[in-house]
Amino acid sequence: MTEVLHPRPNPIVAAMYTLRDLEAEVVVMHGPAGCGFMASRRLEEAGVRVVTTGMREGDLIFGAEEKLVRVLAQVEQEFHPRLVGIVGTCASMIIGENLDSAIKKAGLKAKVLAVDTHGCAGPNTSGAIRTLEVAAQQGVISQEEYLRQKEMLTRATLIEADRGLTSRRYLEPHPGATKLSVALEIVRALRQGKRVSVTLNAKKETAFGFADVMRAVEYARSRVGGETLHLGNLSTEIGLPRIRRYAREIQRDLKEADVELALITGGLDEYPVAGERAARFLERERADLRIFAGLPHAVPGITPEDILVTDQPRELRNYIDRGFAKSVGEINTHAMVMSAHGILKNELGETIRQIVDGGMA
Amino acid sequence: MRQIAIYGKGGIGKSTISANVAAALAEKGLITWYVGCDPKSDGSMTLLRGQRAQAFLEMMKGTGQGKPYEVAVGYGGVRCVEVGGPLAGVGCAGRGIIVAVQALSKDHFSKENIDVIIYDVPGDVVCGGFAAPLRERYADEVYIVTSGEYLSLYAANNIAKGLRNLNVKLGGIICNSREVEGERNVVAEFASQIGTRMIAFIPRDPVVRECENQGMTVIECAPASAQASAYRSLAEAMMRNKDFALPRPMEPEDIRALLRGSMA
Repeated sequence: MTEVLHPRPNPIVAAMYTLRDLEAEVVVMHGPAGCGFMASRRLEEAGVRVVTTGMREGDLIFGAEEKLVRVLAQVEQEFHPRLVGIVGTCASMIIGENLDSAIKKAGLKAKVLAVDTHGCAGPNTSGAIRTLEVAAQQGVISQEEYLRQKEMLTRATLIEADRGLTSRRYLEPHPGATKLSVALEIVRALRQGKRVSVTLNAKKETAFGFADVMRAVEYARSRVGGETLHLGNLSTEIGLPRIRRYAREIQRDLKEADVELALITGGLDEYPVAGERAARFLERERADLRIFAGLPHAVPGITPEDILVTDQPRELRNYIDRGFAKSVGEINTHAMVMSAHGILKNELGETIRQIVDGGMA
Repeated sequence: MRQIAIYGKGGIGKSTISANVAAALAEKGLITWYVGCDPKSDGSMTLLRGQRAQAFLEMMKGTGQGKPYEVAVGYGGVRCVEVGGPLAGVGCAGRGIIVAVQALSKDHFSKENIDVIIYDVPGDVVCGGFAAPLRERYADEVYIVTSGEYLSLYAANNIAKGLRNLNVKLGGIICNSREVEGERNVVAEFASQIGTRMIAFIPRDPVVRECENQGMTVIECAPASAQASAYRSLAEAMMRNKDFALPRPMEPEDIRALLRGSMA
């Protein structure tokens, strides 16, 4: 195992996001006020209410069960939720707080998912798995769905350790190649009548950001010629209702932009296996220039000739260091997609459109 | 200022020894503090005629933040502090000790004229919290209380491991007799094997219980008794002691061998 030094997501944040996916209206962070703060802000943009028990030093010593009971009661009174999640933090879990006892004492009408995870509990996906396990125990999802998602998350962890963010000891953030250089190459290829493939292999809501590459490439083809091939993990039949909704909304917008999907590689929570399906399909299909958007490293067989689009500067560093010089960053993707109900324009897409309309290249 | 921590297996008699040593030192005119680190807060009761000192953490927890802690004054002027802590099964006593020792050090120990502080630390050096009094700025001398029984020696050895990890020197082993056969020799031999010495042998005497039942230390309740002399000698030996060494803990198997040897 590589000893990884750079900051990375943890089980607490993964649990919060998974609760959002399960349509929990309120997430209670049982811990100090700042714990998960940035993630909380994002989730609030997505309509989830995140509250904290605001543990203090004395609560570490004497426990904060009463505080949690009080906060849960207030949550019920203020928001009348159907589904509430409680997420443990390092502070509350190290001192052994009893979440179930607090839930019992608070006597809520809402269903409550108590996720007893914390920052030292393992890879970030362990927090998501624990949340799904609790959800299955409480009948919010089926046992089969739990096992399927657990499998995906476990595979995702392996991919990250094999060739992603946890495969290297330290990754210095990198801004990536310029969008102009990459967009020019795409438009030139189309102008020369070549075949350009766009593979979307994105994680959940980030697909709202990355799918714009498909629209932009299709737009360019309509103006300058060439051929396109689109595929992506946009199944509307797989995953939690919220995740299927994302896929529906994206497919709707793609259709409107005349993007035809040659292959649906899987669901939006299936990027570890959808990447493999995409790779198999691309082996059979000829493409002169290949673009991969989302989590390109989850697609086996990508080469330095390919264009990779992702959102994290450390991911970009990883790609560039591995020889994928044509890696570009859509750094704001995650911040923009939180309350999205349709595809958002991204920078690479806009650059392609500008080249086509402005007569560059 | 001497800052002394007393460790040892739970139930071995740390509080009785700590309170009597504190009383003996106070009797000699030293300004002495007794700091009970056990969450149940009853170590200082014999210094306070059966009264309970307010727990420091309880005071911090309540609305009294910022309010000065009222230090209870017991026999001979011994200042009695109880750290306090959570109910069983809740929160973290170790964190409580860290917070209380830090606060006491800042608000009291650094500001007042003190000759000796005795920390009566619970059970074992089980975690960072329980080791807090040993952090450089706090207690710098340690005594371990044990009897000649295997489990007490095992715990004493474990504490020695903790001291070695923390690089804290040991001043000696106090034998609190359980009247085990060959006890004096076993404990003296154990002490020597881990690189220290037995600084005192405290006999078992019913007078200890009688005095405790009256809510007093032996020093106060039976000042002329042989038991009171034993505690006074220990207190003097501690004050005179200049012999401190980093312990070399034994293998648990060797403790058994030591005990088997004493039986033969």
